[in-house]
Amino acid sequence: MLEPTREALYRLASLDPALWTVIGVSMQVSLAALAIATPFAVAGGYLLAMTRFPGRRLLVVLLQSLLSLPTVVIGLLLYLLLSRQGPLGAWQLLFTREAMAIGQVVIAFPIVCAFTLAAVQAADPRLHETARLLGASRLRAAFTLLREVRFALVAAILSGFGRVVSEVGCALMVGGNIAGHTRTIPTAIALETSKGAFTEGIALGIVLMGVALVVNVALAFSQGAGQGQGNDRGRSGPGAPGRTAGVP
Amino acid sequence: MTRPPLLCAYGLCLRFGARGVLDDCSLAIAAGEACVLTGDNGAGKTTLLRVLAGLQRPDAGTLLFDGQPVEAGRFPPSVRRALQFVPAHPLLFSTSVQANIDYGLRARGIGRAECRRLAQAAIEWARLQPVAATDPRRLSAGETQRTAIARAWVLAPRLLLFDEPTANLDRESHAQVLDLVGRLVRDGAAVLIAAHDRALAELPGARRLHLSGGRLATLGA
Repeated sequence: MLEPTREALYRLASLDPALWTVIGVSMQVSLAALAIATPFAVAGGYLLAMTRFPGRRLLVVLLQSLLSLPTVVIGLLLYLLLSRQGPLGAWQLLFTREAMAIGQVVIAFPIVCAFTLAAVQAADPRLHETARLLGASRLRAAFTLLREVRFALVAAILSGFGRVVSEVGCALMVGGNIAGHTRTIPTAIALETSKGAFTEGIALGIVLMGVALVVNVALAFSQGAGQGQGNDRGRSGPGAPGRTAGVP
Repeated sequence: MTRPPLLCAYGLCLRFGARGVLDDCSLAIAAGEACVLTGDNGAGKTTLLRVLAGLQRPDAGTLLFDGQPVEAGRFPPSVRRALQFVPAHPLLFSTSVQANIDYGLRARGIGRAECRRLAQAAIEWARLQPVAATDPRRLSAGETQRTAIARAWVLAPRLLLFDEPTANLDRESHAQVLDLVGRLVRDGAAVLIAAHDRALAELPGARRLHLSGGRLATLGA
């Protein structure tokens, strides 16, 4: 155990190209997916929290259900859509980074959307009213409210990142785990471990744990920065509690 | 000469479930007129102000602004710009006092330099210079109230609605807020102030309205 770990650390420190390519692919795909999903998810969460329409309750339940949808099921559905015989087969996206990014968008969207919904619902209802009274357009009032719950939004986005960077099922199915092309940290760990090549697995595991640590430290920091945030529901002024994102 | 009415309300009725809050309330506020609205706790003063500010739809009744009918909750931009409502517990955005004050100016598309100049004037008017750059979470209740009043004042509204502006303030903050409201009235702003506070209820030159059992009565200036 010690020897493979020492070897893994050495390979990481010596910038082993094979390892760092995998890390690069992982980061590229996950960050791209998050960048695509976040604006839609935040807008969706805001609209779900602020508007009332027939079927809204059903949509919220559906969103909550998507949170617990196994990533392999998303991978399977995407595989069926993108495979040569599938309805989107002509796009020839299967076993590409784009296909992996699409899968991760589907995984990240409900997380960021549900957390945004919770954050906006928990915000002081006077925020929107105050902005509108001061003459803000609906769009400006929306940005004002989102700015007031920014720490919860950061937590939502970090949670989404944590989920997509570590998911293996969808990436494996639609990416194909092709070395140097679609091999990500989690899929590489699964493959190397199955081959008995623990050094690579441990090295990538260290990176994944490092990423998780960074995300959690950032999450804790954003929640800490949100402590005393004055615009939680029904309270303002010194000592109002911070808002921690939660699933509605 | 009689001043033309700025805001008129006729036959406002509102019920919350089985409880009637407003029952055929009518009033008119002229440009530059100061009115004080008194009433017991739960009499419906805040509700009436929210109806007049367009934040609450009445079950029945008509609102006219400058003689034009307006629908509560759907005030046209010109009316929304002409009215400001300062609630009893105003909410400040978690930016700075100055940013709060120039928020409405920026929302109106006023240039950055002009915003800064007007906000600075409002800060001086409300004597908020020592806390201008402060995070609103660190303000006292009195400073919060003065910031909210300055934030409304800077927009030069034609009618200001105040809900208990001196509620829960210590003696010094109370005097400062009272001074601001008094200066507004002396400067000829049209104001309607819901108040329990005796000092506000007996504001010199203000017409006194009393809300009781959902009915509005004029008590005289």
